[in-house]
Amino acid sequence: MQLNRRQLLGAFGTASVTAALTSCAGFTRSGSDAQAPASAPSGSSSGSVSGELTFTTWGSDSELAGFERAIAAFQSANPGATVALNAVPFEQMFPNIDAQLQSDTAPDIFRVDYDNLGTYAGRGQLLDLTDYLDGAIGDDFTESMWQAVQFDGAPHGLPHHTDTSTILYNISAFEAAGITSVPDTLDSAWTWEEFEQVALTLQAQLPDGRYPFAYNWQGQGVTRWLSWLFQADGRFLDEDLVTPAIDSEAGRAAVDFTASFFARGLVPENSSVKSTTFASDLFFSETVAMTFAGAFLLPSADSLAPFEWGATFSPRNVRGGGDLGGNALVATAGTTKPELAAQFLTFMTQQETMNDFCAGASLLPTRRDLVDAGIEFEIRPELSTVFVQQATTVQGADAAQVASASMAAINLVLSDQLEQAFVAGQSTDDTLANMSAGIAEATAR
Amino acid sequence: MTRQAVRDSVTGYLFLGPNILLLGLFLFLPLGWAILLSLQQTNGFGAGEFVGLANYSRLLGDPVFWRSTGNTALFTALVVPISLALGLGLAVLMNSVIPARGLFRTVIVLPMVISGVATALIGVLIFDQNVGIANKLLRALGVGTVPWQSEGVAAFASVVLVTVWWRVGLTMLVYLAGLQNVPPELYEAARIDGAGLWAQFRHVTVPMVGPATFFLLVINVIYSFQVFDVVYVLTGGGPGYSTSVLVTYAYENGFMIRDQGYAAAIGVVLLALTLAFTAILWRTSRTRDLVG
Repeated sequence: MQLNRRQLLGAFGTASVTAALTSCAGFTRSGSDAQAPASAPSGSSSGSVSGELTFTTWGSDSELAGFERAIAAFQSANPGATVALNAVPFEQMFPNIDAQLQSDTAPDIFRVDYDNLGTYAGRGQLLDLTDYLDGAIGDDFTESMWQAVQFDGAPHGLPHHTDTSTILYNISAFEAAGITSVPDTLDSAWTWEEFEQVALTLQAQLPDGRYPFAYNWQGQGVTRWLSWLFQADGRFLDEDLVTPAIDSEAGRAAVDFTASFFARGLVPENSSVKSTTFASDLFFSETVAMTFAGAFLLPSADSLAPFEWGATFSPRNVRGGGDLGGNALVATAGTTKPELAAQFLTFMTQQETMNDFCAGASLLPTRRDLVDAGIEFEIRPELSTVFVQQATTVQGADAAQVASASMAAINLVLSDQLEQAFVAGQSTDDTLANMSAGIAEATAR
Repeated sequence: MTRQAVRDSVTGYLFLGPNILLLGLFLFLPLGWAILLSLQQTNGFGAGEFVGLANYSRLLGDPVFWRSTGNTALFTALVVPISLALGLGLAVLMNSVIPARGLFRTVIVLPMVISGVATALIGVLIFDQNVGIANKLLRALGVGTVPWQSEGVAAFASVVLVTVWWRVGLTMLVYLAGLQNVPPELYEAARIDGAGLWAQFRHVTVPMVGPATFFLLVINVIYSFQVFDVVYVLTGGGPGYSTSVLVTYAYENGFMIRDQGYAAAIGVVLLALTLAFTAILWRTSRTRDLVG
């Protein structure tokens, strides 16, 4: 019975890939040497094992093209090994994966954001890679990204790429408000007070119906609010990753500051956490002069924003801080090919493969060597350094909290309570107390 | 039982078989499973822990559940009568001789053939608070704009308006079919008796489309209790909880935090409400069996 379901899944996966390939304009089929990374990592073919892996992901056209190139290179370096790519819409990704895990028809490999990684690992659904990886592989990654794939002290995936938000700004709106320069180094990033002053200056110049900025916490992006908490040097979970720690001075500062955006009209009223209008759309329509955005939005901004725009660093307070965007690649606990799966994950995070993927899709690397050397996006390469530097503000402790097993439930608590604070006037005391109670309930589940 | 009767019974069951099989597999089996799930504490994976009625007692003390139930009831109370009244009015209009009748019928029925998600996306274009068509029109008319996305009442109104727009086509179509079965002699007799247009509508049309009204009432109430796609895409349940309904709340619990036992309990409550409402309608409707 299990064999039949797997065969069915394989056939479905193949059909889906074919459909994806034929429907994506500009999509390059694997096998083209010109599209593959310059050289396959030498270690990837040693101890080669054969067989077919199923790999489910969502992705933009450029991300899927990057996966196709990497898979072609992996297959070329490992004769006998094949990877069947199944591309699905993001909205269907995790409900499908959940159903497949429950019915024992899950793929061998899937792509997962760091919030969800902890949820799956905490429920025993991911392969503990300790026995299948080189013992020193953790040294290849930045501390925060290696921390983001740990569960109970063991790696349950490899960090494929990351992303974090910086500020995109409308150059002509800034010039009209007399703002002629923006921070060009991480150390000179605006403090909260300076950022607030910039927003007020813009507000004084902008006509009715236009606002200084929008924050990108809509559409299940509420985790990005945590950047403010981290900048205030706060935590939402204690070091045990179970006890709530948000009811603190840092928590109070973060809630107060972000709620004031709405109270003072610095952001559109319809840009709260539950809004169905995204911050990027408000920026593209020139409703706001600044938006917080991840690097993955650069291709969209390049084609959709009908004005000149630039990028600068997110504000800092006690310290710099950013959101832990991006995704890991994980193997399912039920895979029958753990060695091959680990080999594929290792290959996907090799220097050349990661560089090719990140540059093509405007995403940030997780490897130390690539962070140190820098990366050049294919679109707006001059902005790469802003995003790469901003990502260094994510600390290991921040990543560990975001990748905790209860993050999905905590996100809902944050979303409900911030919405109440932003649009229903709930006091900061009540917001923090409710968050604390909700987080305690979530981690106790 | 005679051999002929046995043969007839077997033939009947053979015809019914495929439907019974499909209903059993895709309706009754999942339904039974959901009821079982509602008695369990789950984390989305593996076997759940049997907790009896704990999920149901948790519902009693959950303010978001009650808010969502209230919103669902209000949504139903607004959408059903508005859809029926508009649908009947349009059907009467489209049943009379008006220019470009075919075109108007098509325009009204068109949203019915579009998916709920697509309809809601069109709704987003209309009701976007900053750049939507509705507020642009209001601005052009010199009237103040409406906070469609940031104020609870306006957001609720936008959900009701989009749903009515989506649903009125089906309502009109069913009423139109009902109206075409009303014998013209009845109107002729009413006119001879001195009935005006309103009296004809009130005393001939409305009673004669009674079975259609009963059918539309039941399915509209069921659809309204089950509303999800329009709310999820248009408002996401917000601002706050002002447009949260039972199915969006069940979805949040079942698929976002993977508390599927609790989500199943919400689903079972929804089923019980739907069955109770339908049973009441069935017992109290005097027109359900009338033939127009």
